[in-house]
Amino acid sequence: MQILLIEDDARVAAHVSKGLGEVGHIVEHKADGRAGLLQAAAEYYDVIILDRMLPHVDGLTILQTLRATGDATPVLILSALNDVDERVRGLRAGGDDYLSKPFALAELLARVEALGRRPQTAPEPTRITVADLEVDVVGRTVKRGGQRIELTSREFRILDYLIRNAGRVVTRAMLLENVWDYSFDPQTNIIDQHVSRLRQKMDRDYPVQLIHTVRGTGYVLREAQ
Amino acid sequence: MRLLGSLSFRLALIYAFLFAISTALTVGGYYLLNIRNPMGKVRSGVQVEAAMLAGTYVTEGQEALVRELQERQRSDAERKPFHAFIAPDGKTIIHNLPGWPEYHGAGWQMIEADLYVGSGESDHFSLTWDRKFNDGARLLVGRDVEDLLERQEFAGEAAAWMLVSALLLGIPGGALLSLAIGRRIDTISATARRVMAGDLSGRIPLQGSNDDFDRLAETLNLMLARIEELLVSIRRLSDSVAHELRTPLARLSADLSELETADADTRPQLTRAALDEADKLIRLFDMVLRIARIEGLRHATSFGEVDLSALATDAIEFYQPAIEERELRLDVRIEPGRIIVGDGHMLAQAIGNLLDNAIKYTPPGGRIALHVLAVADAIELHIVDSGPGIPPDQRERVWGRFIRLAETAHEPGTGLGLPFVKAVADVHETAINLYDAGPGLHVVWKFPQPK
Repeated sequence: MQILLIEDDARVAAHVSKGLGEVGHIVEHKADGRAGLLQAAAEYYDVIILDRMLPHVDGLTILQTLRATGDATPVLILSALNDVDERVRGLRAGGDDYLSKPFALAELLARVEALGRRPQTAPEPTRITVADLEVDVVGRTVKRGGQRIELTSREFRILDYLIRNAGRVVTRAMLLENVWDYSFDPQTNIIDQHVSRLRQKMDRDYPVQLIHTVRGTGYVLREAQ
Repeated sequence: MRLLGSLSFRLALIYAFLFAISTALTVGGYYLLNIRNPMGKVRSGVQVEAAMLAGTYVTEGQEALVRELQERQRSDAERKPFHAFIAPDGKTIIHNLPGWPEYHGAGWQMIEADLYVGSGESDHFSLTWDRKFNDGARLLVGRDVEDLLERQEFAGEAAAWMLVSALLLGIPGGALLSLAIGRRIDTISATARRVMAGDLSGRIPLQGSNDDFDRLAETLNLMLARIEELLVSIRRLSDSVAHELRTPLARLSADLSELETADADTRPQLTRAALDEADKLIRLFDMVLRIARIEGLRHATSFGEVDLSALATDAIEFYQPAIEERELRLDVRIEPGRIIVGDGHMLAQAIGNLLDNAIKYTPPGGRIALHVLAVADAIELHIVDSGPGIPPDQRERVWGRFIRLAETAHEPGTGLGLPFVKAVADVHETAINLYDAGPGLHVVWKFPQPK
């Protein structure tokens, strides 16, 4: 993916660029708001990673300017301000995701990939299949090897989120935000317990495991290890 | 000039001035009623008498006038009558005045008319009407007004004395007052300065008279005690923050220095451990900051209508796996659609924290209850567990940051869960209380009914 990183802290920028580069993304880095805004307008990017506080032009201003010009490139906001209000402000200004500093590189990667994959105009699929798993998003039914599996509505939402991001790592925080709409750190392994229950119903007893744990980060739904 | 700068001295001066004015008014009133009015009556009386006597002289002649004057002197009047008649040839025909001044035209004369009766002398003053007739005869008719003059003199003297004494007492009195009050104020401001200088234990000494200043000092002392309490708790907090942050930092530092020399096999393990510690630090730090932010919120801009029933239902659902894992019996009674005013995100986390605690501290097989119900004028959230509970003397303490009770110190936790709940409850201006569930803990969070 083509990624524009607008971040004034050189070390964070180097760390992020290296991490994203290692998994095959092409990263353009701009260290101040004005240059970043010009660059974003000049070229096409799959994702823009935008620091909230920048010299010259504030991150939210850049975002609002971009959106005002009709640019719909997915934007991930990075911020040292970890607060629900801040988060809401960022998303309201047109941000697609919000990550507070300090963050784990894996978390950033997962979120960037989820954003880049997001179809910008394509219609929502009604049926997604991975191996012998078949999820009818509209009818809310799940089949494995043609056999129907009953899930609670929450379990379905977890699976729905995982399968929409099939092949990409989904972090616990992403699950928390997208499945429960909670933006806090529950400080327990409760997410793992939910995923474990889901696995028990639709994964554990099948020959091919589809939901895999990514150590220290989260989960990924895919066919092969 | 310092004296003039003193409020109490200025007040005393103003008081003296007001006293002087009121004295002047009193004396003025007295003069009007007891001197000026009677004097006016005497004057008109004398004028009438003089006119009648003049009539007698003009129509009936000198003999008749003399007779009338003699008769007037014999009459037993309240005010002693005085008169003198001088014939046109300058001869004094009749008089009872000891003397009289030269004639200066018709008008009033005040003539001293002291009488010597035996060995005694009685003072008299005659208010006298003096006139001449066309033929050159002169008639003086008067009445004694000595008492009125005496009164006048007395009133003047009294007024002068009162004014002088008001000033004489007012100035030193004011000075004394300002000194006495100033001394009390000085003790208060000395204490304030001591506290400002950093001695928080400073208190204003009381006189024990329970007067205004004592009561003020008492209030100020209470305020100082409260401030000291708050500062001590902040100091204790920063101490414990430092401690709580230092421990993972020290571990992190140890992991990293070990990593420097570690062989390839142990590297990933040490790296993982270091990252975990860093993660723990970030979480702690986030939590501390969030609590501080919430405590700093004054007017809650993010407040709106929140469905407490839905929040509670979601929380139960969220923690369901943990509840099942510990095989806890669950008693959920949530009246649907109980709406309160607040911040949904904060409340969701606070309820989550409470539920998390309840699950964590209840032994496997125990019981947990969550109720949302409307009572008379409030909506209550109850969370009850059958864990060890909190001893009554510890119930206030657990709201403090980084407080881990000895009984449960082995459980994982940051010591920030309940402080977060407390901060949320406070910013919502709601009461949250802990009770004994015998055994276990019963949390009651009371929200006002939205208007």
